[in-house]
Amino acid sequence: MNKIDLTFTVNGGVRTVATKPHRTLLNVLREDLDLISVKEGCSQGDCGACVVIMDGFAVNSCLVLAPQAQGSEIITLEGLAQNGELHPLQKMFIEKWAFQCGYCTPGILMSCYALLLHNPVPTPDEVKDAISGNLCRCTGYQAIIDAVMAAVAS
Amino acid sequence: MDSAHTRLHFDYNAPQSLEAGLLALRKSPGAAIIAGGTDLLPSWRGGLIHPTLVIDFKHLGLSYIKAEVNRVRIGAYTTHSQMMVSELLTGYFPALPEACRQIAAPPIRNRGTLGGNLVNASPAADTAPPLMAYDAELVLVKDGSQRVVPLDKFFIGPGETLKQPDELLAEVYIPFCEPNTASKFIKMGNRRAMAIAVASVAVRISLGKAEEVLEARIALGSVAPTPIRAREAESLLVGEKLSEDVISAAAYMAQGEVAPISDIRASKEYRSRMVEVLVKRSLLAARTELKERMTGE
Amino acid sequence: MIKGSELGTSIIGKNATAIGGLEIIKGQARYCADLKIPGTLIGKLLYSKSPSAQVTKLDVSHARNLPGVAAVLTYKDVPGKNSYLYVYDDQPLLVSDIVRYQGDIIAAVAAEDEDAALSALDAIEVEYELLPGVFDPVEAMKPDSPRVWPGKDNITAHIVEEHGDIRAGFDQADIIIDNTYTTQRVEHAFLETESALAYADHDGTLIVYSSTQSPHSDRKQIARALAIPENQVRVMVPFVGGAFGGKMEATIQIHAALLAYKTKRPVRIQRTREESILTHVKRHPMTIHYRTGATKEGLLTAVKFEVISDTGPYINSGEEVLGASITLGYGPYNVPNARAEGFLVLTNNPICGAMRGFGLPQVNFAYEQQMDELAERLGIDPVEIRLRNGMKSGSTLPAGVKVLDGRGMKGTIAEAMRLSKWKDRSLIARQPEAHLRRGRGVGCSLYSTGYGAGVPDSASASLDMAADGSVLLRSGAADMGQGVHTVLAQIAAEMLGVKVSSIKLVTPDTQVTPDAGPSVASRATYVSGNAVIKAALPIRKSLLEVAAQITGLDIDLLSLRDGYLFAEGEELHLTVAGLATKALEKGLQMHAEGYYSVVLPGDYPEDEDPNKTEPFTFATHVAQVIVDIETGDIQVEKYIAVHDPGKMINIGSGLGQIAGGIVQGQGYSLMEELAVEHGYTQNLSLESYLIPTSMDVPEMEIGFVEFPYKYGPMGAKGLGEIPTAPVNAAIANAVANAIGARVRHLPITPECVLDALDKQ
Repeated sequence: MNKIDLTFTVNGGVRTVATKPHRTLLNVLREDLDLISVKEGCSQGDCGACVVIMDGFAVNSCLVLAPQAQGSEIITLEGLAQNGELHPLQKMFIEKWAFQCGYCTPGILMSCYALLLHNPVPTPDEVKDAISGNLCRCTGYQAIIDAVMAAVAS
Repeated sequence: MDSAHTRLHFDYNAPQSLEAGLLALRKSPGAAIIAGGTDLLPSWRGGLIHPTLVIDFKHLGLSYIKAEVNRVRIGAYTTHSQMMVSELLTGYFPALPEACRQIAAPPIRNRGTLGGNLVNASPAADTAPPLMAYDAELVLVKDGSQRVVPLDKFFIGPGETLKQPDELLAEVYIPFCEPNTASKFIKMGNRRAMAIAVASVAVRISLGKAEEVLEARIALGSVAPTPIRAREAESLLVGEKLSEDVISAAAYMAQGEVAPISDIRASKEYRSRMVEVLVKRSLLAARTELKERMTGE
Repeated sequence: MIKGSELGTSIIGKNATAIGGLEIIKGQARYCADLKIPGTLIGKLLYSKSPSAQVTKLDVSHARNLPGVAAVLTYKDVPGKNSYLYVYDDQPLLVSDIVRYQGDIIAAVAAEDEDAALSALDAIEVEYELLPGVFDPVEAMKPDSPRVWPGKDNITAHIVEEHGDIRAGFDQADIIIDNTYTTQRVEHAFLETESALAYADHDGTLIVYSSTQSPHSDRKQIARALAIPENQVRVMVPFVGGAFGGKMEATIQIHAALLAYKTKRPVRIQRTREESILTHVKRHPMTIHYRTGATKEGLLTAVKFEVISDTGPYINSGEEVLGASITLGYGPYNVPNARAEGFLVLTNNPICGAMRGFGLPQVNFAYEQQMDELAERLGIDPVEIRLRNGMKSGSTLPAGVKVLDGRGMKGTIAEAMRLSKWKDRSLIARQPEAHLRRGRGVGCSLYSTGYGAGVPDSASASLDMAADGSVLLRSGAADMGQGVHTVLAQIAAEMLGVKVSSIKLVTPDTQVTPDAGPSVASRATYVSGNAVIKAALPIRKSLLEVAAQITGLDIDLLSLRDGYLFAEGEELHLTVAGLATKALEKGLQMHAEGYYSVVLPGDYPEDEDPNKTEPFTFATHVAQVIVDIETGDIQVEKYIAVHDPGKMINIGSGLGQIAGGIVQGQGYSLMEELAVEHGYTQNLSLESYLIPTSMDVPEMEIGFVEFPYKYGPMGAKGLGEIPTAPVNAAIANAVANAIGARVRHLPITPECVLDALDKQ
């Protein structure tokens, strides 16, 4: 199988990667572009650790074939802070202790950011739904929801 | 020598025209159609399928929800998220967005498609019961021809459908319902998100002028090798008023029409039992909605 | 010992920014799989297809010759000891003859890329001759059952503990309650699967990045397997994505080291989720026969229980877990006559080992339901009966260990009653709808901090202050998310009078950071915290001596806080940095190592001998559930938890640990179970092994009571494990309260509920 050229926008910059077509967006982001915030937790779409934003929506990057990302706009956690300034979500996650081991955190932040892109003033139930595909084994989720609500309020 | 670990690589093709795509499909016996990839990729990774080529029809504008005079047409590449927020569907076919809302979680819903859900043909497919309750029809196209298949004939067995390897499920028709119709979807799972249905039900009831049942549909998921209609239970309802007794009788009848299995999620006894509970609850909910509408809400 | 109240407490009890927190939320935190070295080979392990078989053929010649394959190793290729070293060395790294569970490892492969590695796995020729195998612990206990180890009894440990006169105790009882409880095998489901990256440094040192709770223990095991000195192995711990006991023992780091050693190239091994669920240790499933005797006033006269624990084919930490169940199985209650018997049984089921709570959650399920049933049948309030029997300071467990500080028992109960508005519970609508029932239940727990009375338990830490007042903190304690690094930094900052931001914690590294022991047994804060305090003392002394000289004031009037010097509470505009500069100029000691041992003799008054007492901690939880009596569905509507951490050093991480423990406990109670049939695990994915999502969690209210522990660092005791223990009891008791029927096995699924209702 020959490699294909994948050209897409990642965190605001256009990138081109040559890849075999069976590889996933997760593989390309982590391995080819060193965007290591995108984590591998199960490779099956069951855990959400690999969630990134693709064309404005949260997706499991382990379930997107690399060629399917052709021409798309991807945002990973590395792209959340702008000009060195932390996003309110990031600030509140720190303040509310909304992470412990941190492994699920990039995926959770992306799901939360995706929510805010479409719904800037969500209810706690909407936040719960937004992260319902992100498993967390450490926090019990409550602190995460508190952090998002605090970020929205700020 | 084993082959439990290695996975065949595959090529990827996203045709720019339907003709080119269908031709590629016909010419490549080892091809699989990919939409959202949420079922295909785990199946490939798990060694259940071994495509040599995946064909992605994403450029063909197959993502739409359109109203025509008698029916709504949904493109096969429409995602669950899109169906969830469709005012058209929420207004006329509420059980469908209600089902979509309960599929997995947002990242899956943003990619998973109607076509993928139906063709994957899990007995637990969440869009199947509502679509069956709405008498949906499927448009299958292949190089040179197309055919329309009613959904309640489409599923043959777990993971098996009438769709041939050289066919693409292109769109789904849902005819508009009679004026005095209510519908409801209920899903039971072992947790409140990211859960495969243990049992699910979609009902649709249309009432006549004398409040008698004109049309009744009871579609069930996860309680048989395919999503099914509880036709005997439906016949019990037709011509009757929706009293508590009639509803209970229909629910009891539905329980007798299923053939569930015991698996890691639930025992067959439990599933059977839940059929009665879910059918009763959904019929009662439909009745309540119809009452509220008649009394002007 | 330094008590928290002697210092400024400007930092302790506050919410300091998490060490590593900025990296995490920026997406820059590097876990093992994120560390990249050019030329890294991909390592993969071949797992057994069968839970019980003889390996009759093992031919790796084809695999070795495949393009891109750098090494294929079998048991013949292990230079040193071909075994993990837990307490015993019964588990092989690479199987030579018999596979005893489905996760046994047959071969290890390293190749240029994943595809080549997978091809190599497929090219290894293995043939198995199936052996009978035993999959039911009760069957395994019978003399004629197949032996997991030839010639060895499947009952690998038998513990009996007695206290008082059990016969007389039951004779005195007005009521005796007998029940059997069963708990299931569950999986840690840490988000980051087992991961290691190993390579040989230019000077021959074998460097291993390991996702682990125990860097020094990993080092020992790697050295032992490779037959090289321990000082030639360097284990470093990057960010770890959760562990919960599942990374206490070595997982794949020894294999990664072996492959790196043989290939002389860097090798990475990361388990897939399926491999992780298949192989690593699980929580011991237990069957508990429990007999409780009490007077009609509800006072316990006798308790007798028997535990059968299925540990799989290798002992791992099975004896210690069983020991904890036996010791803690009476709950936080005074039991005058006691007998506990435990059987540790070998089977060909998945191997079991350490998991958060370490034997407590299982027995908690039993003893708390016994207490509740006692209360029901005697017509006594369930909280009242717990208070009547509850331990106090000075109480002794039947095992002979004393509770030095027992204020947490009444303290947590009182606060839980307040938060849950327990006395208003009759006002709650018990039947919100025709098919729904609401109920409340209480669960109390007692747990220890550290390895246990009399068991050697120590740690070292070192501190280094530079002329500008910035500090290096070196501790070998691994942080898996529980927040111990931040807590240690807070303690160091408090002791040295600087801001927490002045403390830099050096990543755990066996070549650089002293041995703190594994982060297990809720010991890290307690033991390492005390070690940090000891390390701080000489430096603090140097700073204050210089301060006394400069100011001419009595040293006893001086203190340090937030980077400044204070005299009797008044800031003196002298910075700690300034003092540090002077101290270094004078050659005073500004670097120190602290060694703390829990059981060091001679430091304690006789009745506080740490060989006879432990820093016990209490917890009281209240669950409110709504049960659908037609479907059996259980919704945990509200949840209150009150804990007894001695001193809550970091509120954010402390409350977080409790919240996370509650949700893990909820999973254990309601939805988690490793489905195993004849040794074959059926649910090898997170789609079929269900842990709670954000949609499943209740509204939680978490509180704590602070009774500073005399010997704890700043008064702190351990907190990490106990939050998960009483959850199953609180929920089970709430369900019983809701539906009037009890479920005595876990998980409490909807089917169990309907079963219980049908039997009523």
